[in-house]
Amino acid sequence: MSSKFLRNEQGFTTITFTTQESQVLINLLEQLLELLGDSSVTGDHSDPLMNLFGSSGNDAPPDDPVLRRLLPNAYSDESDAAEFRRYTESGLREKKRSAAHIVYEALLPSELQSDTEWNSDQPVDRSIFKVVIDSRDIQAWLTTLNDLRLALAVRLGIGERSAPDDSTEKSAQRFELMTDNDPMKAVYAVYSWLGWLQQSLLELLIDGDEK
Amino acid sequence: MVGTLTDSEIELNLKSDRPWICVVWDDPVNLMTYVTHVFMVVFGYSKEKAHELMMKVHNEGKATVSSGTREEMERDVQQLHEYGLWATIQRADEL
Repeated sequence: MSSKFLRNEQGFTTITFTTQESQVLINLLEQLLELLGDSSVTGDHSDPLMNLFGSSGNDAPPDDPVLRRLLPNAYSDESDAAEFRRYTESGLREKKRSAAHIVYEALLPSELQSDTEWNSDQPVDRSIFKVVIDSRDIQAWLTTLNDLRLALAVRLGIGERSAPDDSTEKSAQRFELMTDNDPMKAVYAVYSWLGWLQQSLLELLIDGDEK
Repeated sequence: MVGTLTDSEIELNLKSDRPWICVVWDDPVNLMTYVTHVFMVVFGYSKEKAHELMMKVHNEGKATVSSGTREEMERDVQQLHEYGLWATIQRADEL
């Protein structure tokens, strides 16, 4: 897994994934969207009245530890946190869902993708998948990659209170010592890959700021 | 609820027009460059100031990143949560 974000001659941000890489991302995004209550993925129909008022009506922190990290309490005081959550949580969920959707849709194979290669004499290589990202969508890619990393980190137990100094170096060591058949080792590999991807996108942005 | 304010709270409100703060807490997941980028985008801070604040979060476990009215801080925290940073609101005098 060695894809990285690049800027092409026209100034667009591009990334080329192998089919395997884009499948990993699509799979993770579907899980994230489902967790955030996306109705197009889960088939659920959320209450239209609640949507209208922009309030989830919900004031308790989510049961799922990943959601508790993605939608954290804004106050240490429980009643202040509940009040804030009642009016803001559904909006925050919606922001995260729409960002994840932008990335998800960019990764779904479309007819248009192969048409752009039509004039080329080269046969279309279906084992790789090139994405050209509109500049308006860069922040969505950045926050969604971050949300995926936050979600995986919770599942991997990185940064739990029982391991308060679980620094990047220490968690890397912990996972490197795992045997290859430990399923968490593969999850950690994906987590590291996402960090690497996010860093490459940040480097492009920082580079752009300095020009 | 003016009637519930104590004399010292009224005094504080009169003294300061920025009685609430937004605090960002360290976590081992968010990349350092990402946190710096978010401070620049959300607050419009210079790269130097954003980097300095990020280092404070990293080294001290937390940093006050903005101050203002309660409504302003709630907007800041909402934006920081959209970016996945671990941010909370508190009264400046609770620091």
